[in-house]
Amino acid sequence: MSAPTTLPTAFPAPPAAPRRRHVPIRRLTWMLARPGTQSPATLVLPAVAFGVTSALIITVIGGTSMFWRIPGQDGGIYRVLSVLALALLLVPLLGLGAAAARLSARRRDDRLASLRLLGATGADVIRITVLESTVVALVGAVGGALLSLAISPLVGLIPFLGGPIGAAELWIGIWPMLGVIAAVTALATVSSVVGLRRVVISPLGVRTRQRKAFPHWARPLIALAVIAMLGTALQGIGALQSELGLVLAIGGAFAVGLAVLGLLGPWLIAVWARLQVRRARTVPRLLAARAVLDDSGAVWRQVGGVAMTSFVAVVAGSGIGLLLAIDTSQSDDLGTLPGDIFTGIVVTLIASFLMVAVSVGVNQAAAVLDRRDITVSLDRLGMPREMIEAARARQAIAPVLLVAVTAAIIGGVLVLPLAGMTLLLSPSTLLVVFGSIALGIGLVWLAVRATTPVQRAVLAHPERA
Amino acid sequence: MNSSTSVPARTVLTAANLVKVYGGKTRALAGVDLALQSGESVAIMGASGSGKTTLLHALAGIIVPDGGRVSFAGPVGPVEVSALNERDRARLRRESFGFVFQQGLLVPELTALENVALPMMLAGYPRPESEAHARRWLDALGLPGLGDRRIGELSGGQAQRVAIARAQVTGASIIFADEPTGALDSQTSADVMDALLHSTVGQGHTLVVVTHDREVAARCDRTIHLRDGRVHTASGEPVPAAAAPGFEFVGEGWDRSAETNR
Repeated sequence: MSAPTTLPTAFPAPPAAPRRRHVPIRRLTWMLARPGTQSPATLVLPAVAFGVTSALIITVIGGTSMFWRIPGQDGGIYRVLSVLALALLLVPLLGLGAAAARLSARRRDDRLASLRLLGATGADVIRITVLESTVVALVGAVGGALLSLAISPLVGLIPFLGGPIGAAELWIGIWPMLGVIAAVTALATVSSVVGLRRVVISPLGVRTRQRKAFPHWARPLIALAVIAMLGTALQGIGALQSELGLVLAIGGAFAVGLAVLGLLGPWLIAVWARLQVRRARTVPRLLAARAVLDDSGAVWRQVGGVAMTSFVAVVAGSGIGLLLAIDTSQSDDLGTLPGDIFTGIVVTLIASFLMVAVSVGVNQAAAVLDRRDITVSLDRLGMPREMIEAARARQAIAPVLLVAVTAAIIGGVLVLPLAGMTLLLSPSTLLVVFGSIALGIGLVWLAVRATTPVQRAVLAHPERA
Repeated sequence: MNSSTSVPARTVLTAANLVKVYGGKTRALAGVDLALQSGESVAIMGASGSGKTTLLHALAGIIVPDGGRVSFAGPVGPVEVSALNERDRARLRRESFGFVFQQGLLVPELTALENVALPMMLAGYPRPESEAHARRWLDALGLPGLGDRRIGELSGGQAQRVAIARAQVTGASIIFADEPTGALDSQTSADVMDALLHSTVGQGHTLVVVTHDREVAARCDRTIHLRDGRVHTASGEPVPAAAAPGFEFVGEGWDRSAETNR
């Protein structure tokens, strides 16, 4: 048995004030990064998210730049199509990058707020955050670059110009690869600074969820006006002589189209979610619809990428399918172009779904960690765990389903005669398109399921809530 | 204090020799015996780490004790809570217990009304009926007209009243409250305790409160002090009767028999 502790009568006096204030930022950052009571997912998830983002960026750049090396007359059309594919993938890619950055920035708020209360200056907090987020993103981005190399033999099996493209064609060069790593790391750095401003400004600020404004009713009107103007402007596209001009015009039209979708999308999702809130009869439906309605803009940023690709896949897929089916002699004139366009459509479609799926997974993982106290409280109230899970899955998948199916239906209606003939003459083509959409939705479902262990860990360790 | 002598008390929950050990060495509960009567309010006090929240979680079936047993006198017969699996314990919590947490822990996306209606919908009631009954509870707890507000749009005291309504909307016979006034100022704390006591003990239900606040404990019928996972001292006597008059908000439209039929 140990002797009773005798308390001293005098306690150590504080040391003399340092001559120069020097905060060991690197040491503090390392201390804060140690595994503790928080989930290790705090650091691992952002790194994985940045890794997947980098791998997909490098693969997409490799895939599209390949078409710019095709010589001769065919090269022009392939270049135009590669720009279109890039434009289609830009939105989901940016969404994924932003999701990864937000996840990285949000994870550290609590500890850093405590640090601020202990006397760290705003600049100290920002420096620690920037250093940590930058290191995590850098590790993830380097891992992503290696991942892109690892998957390039697989991606290289995709056939273009009559054969598999090969891994070598996807190599973008060392400097562009380093550029991607630097860009992804910089994105994380900037996001962490922006995300932590509120911690610096108000460390005692309590997070409250105010009602977000419903998207303005003028959005659909503005969108319609822009579509009308775009239609008028596109009538003059035939007058363009140069290939670069044509590429820029089509790229510009796509950008405007995406902007229109950005205006319409959140409004449509909010209208749909409000309807779902009114009609919800079960707890998972109500929770999911309320969560979507709570921030329809964020939901759109996450899933909007599949709207354009689904629409284009149905419209262009119908046309190309018909072209492939009606006359082999005409197809011979066009060489491998129709088949390549179709392959490109399917690859772009699946790639966009893949990005959205990863983005959904990242956001879901962040949401599970952010909402752990609410989840634990629902569990304590006796809400069945499968119901908690069902609400979460519905909240993530329903908007993807809505956006993809609506876009596909609108596309199908717009080219109804063409789609009808393709359905009769080449049903397999449309089957591939719709199969790809179904596969994409399946990928999103898998992404949600992949975050189930995080949810289970939260319920297994409620004391961390 | 809030109880009257009109209805004989009965034992609704008993804990016998409860033991809970965390990580193989931290003994949070070291043999706790306890009996809760219908219509009484019991405060559990103790220093941080004394085991009070663990005791509340074990009584409520949130965690399973490593030793001892918890028995609940359910509407259709006695139930050994500590022997149930996770699914059945969740069902028991859903159907027979209510919870009020320190921060309310309400779902931020839902309105106040939807938050209160949630347990009824979980119990299988249709949404319109659930919301109608939830609205009556909000009105009774002094929140008329606030049902459509989000939680972030309510004050701390209002949010806690929403949590109280949510805890009891299904007619739970035992309400467990973990530091229900911990985040409130003294005046709001007193108001919330008024609402909590009147709406639970005043209805003949049992209230178990984990608290650090002596004023909160003083308002309960008896206080149990825990130290090192054991009952150190207990003050007050188990209440002989329940169902105080004068609190008339749970009224028509709520069929208790429906709960047991689902």
